[in-house]
Amino acid sequence: MDEKNDKQLRIVGFLCNWCSYGGADTAGVCRFKQPPLLRIIRIPCTGRMDPLFVVKALAQGADGVLVSGCHPKDCHYAVGNFYARRRLELVKRFLPFVGLDPRRFHYTWVSASEGQRWQQVVSEFSAVIQELGPNPGFGQDAVTENAPQAVSSQGGAGDTERCISPRSL
Amino acid sequence: MKTLHSHLEDHFEELELVIGWEIGFEPLRATPAFVRRREDLARLVWNPLCAPNLSVYLPQILKSAEKTEKKVAVCLKGCDTRSLTALIQEGFVDRERLHVIGLPCPGTVDPQALAQARKNRAPVTQVSFQDNLLILHSYEGTEEIPLDSVLARRCRRCRQPNPLLADVVLGDPVPARCDAPSFAHVEAVDSLPLEERRAYWERELDRCLRCYACRNACPLCVCRDRCLAESRTPKWTTQRDSVRDKFLFHMIHALHLAGRCTECGECERVCPVGIPVALFKEKMAQIALDLWDYQAGVDPAATPPLQTFDPSETGI
Repeated sequence: MDEKNDKQLRIVGFLCNWCSYGGADTAGVCRFKQPPLLRIIRIPCTGRMDPLFVVKALAQGADGVLVSGCHPKDCHYAVGNFYARRRLELVKRFLPFVGLDPRRFHYTWVSASEGQRWQQVVSEFSAVIQELGPNPGFGQDAVTENAPQAVSSQGGAGDTERCISPRSL
Repeated sequence: MKTLHSHLEDHFEELELVIGWEIGFEPLRATPAFVRRREDLARLVWNPLCAPNLSVYLPQILKSAEKTEKKVAVCLKGCDTRSLTALIQEGFVDRERLHVIGLPCPGTVDPQALAQARKNRAPVTQVSFQDNLLILHSYEGTEEIPLDSVLARRCRRCRQPNPLLADVVLGDPVPARCDAPSFAHVEAVDSLPLEERRAYWERELDRCLRCYACRNACPLCVCRDRCLAESRTPKWTTQRDSVRDKFLFHMIHALHLAGRCTECGECERVCPVGIPVALFKEKMAQIALDLWDYQAGVDPAATPPLQTFDPSETGI
């Protein structure tokens, strides 16, 4: 693994309190080795996942977004992940349309006892993100968040050759 | 036109309010009209310039209207009735309180396309319509422009020109331009490589003023003064004018309309800087059709797909 690259890359993980957070804990207690890219945000249930969390994280330059919850039919709140999977699949299919890489977003189901599986999920997704490298985000100031305003005003000045104008559609 | 006026004249006693269109600040602009007095009925017009989707006013008006026996009459084109159906689906509008006047629609005019199609420069003093021709009168003379050449983008992909639900339909049915949902414009963007797609949206959204006209014109944006885009807690967008904040606002709008948008195209029509914002929602509609075989605003009894679930679903 490239040390320098690792320092920059970040994956945001949204884990459900009842299954995947426990699963990640199990993996830790069992001392399974995991790549250090993941930063975990605990949510009460995957039903709490607003698709905007995913879009905003990726637009702001998070290198990956991982969502994990209870297996369908095992939700602590009975139906939360049934709602969630519809939303997550929808946003997964929508991301490429606005130019965000759908490979940077992954959702899966890991239960509290599946420490081994958690290790596998994190390793596989981290490998994908390492392969993809840093996420440029949306808007040119994605990398330099604290840079002066002048940077952001260049947003989107790319090649104009293949521009689709609304009138030509 | 006679029939709309005569129909309203006949039923005016039963009506509290009539929502229709009237001629605006110039003959080429039709604006919404709210008629409460019989003598004002004469102001109402119906022609291909009547672009605004009047269902946007219904949730507010029905909420504030007094509970009377009288109904609220509203003029709706084919696509507008889909918006109304979607509002009924989600319980924002009480169908019983409405008198829906359905109008089969030949398509609406895109003012910018019309300006380009005109040869004369003088201001238009009078407009008339005849068999899919726009006849524009100005002091430089009269010119005829075929309606098909100046249609709005939403009308070129129209598949619902005839009202879906109405108390009365005035006019003869119009053949649809597309039989099946057409996503050619979405596919044109999808055909670009990922990097160029991002560059394309960065370029387009850079023009956005965040005037929120697209949100205000949207019949299904029902949060009104509690919009997430303007909320400070939680604070989703900042006050900066960066492309990313503009992008986030459009993502809020698009994701809140996922599985609900009926593709009436109002957001794009009202955009003062001509961003094709309706494409986001068309993409959502395409995904909803692929995943759940669902079209918004077609069946008043259906539940939007993101407000329900199916335990037996596989593959997601």
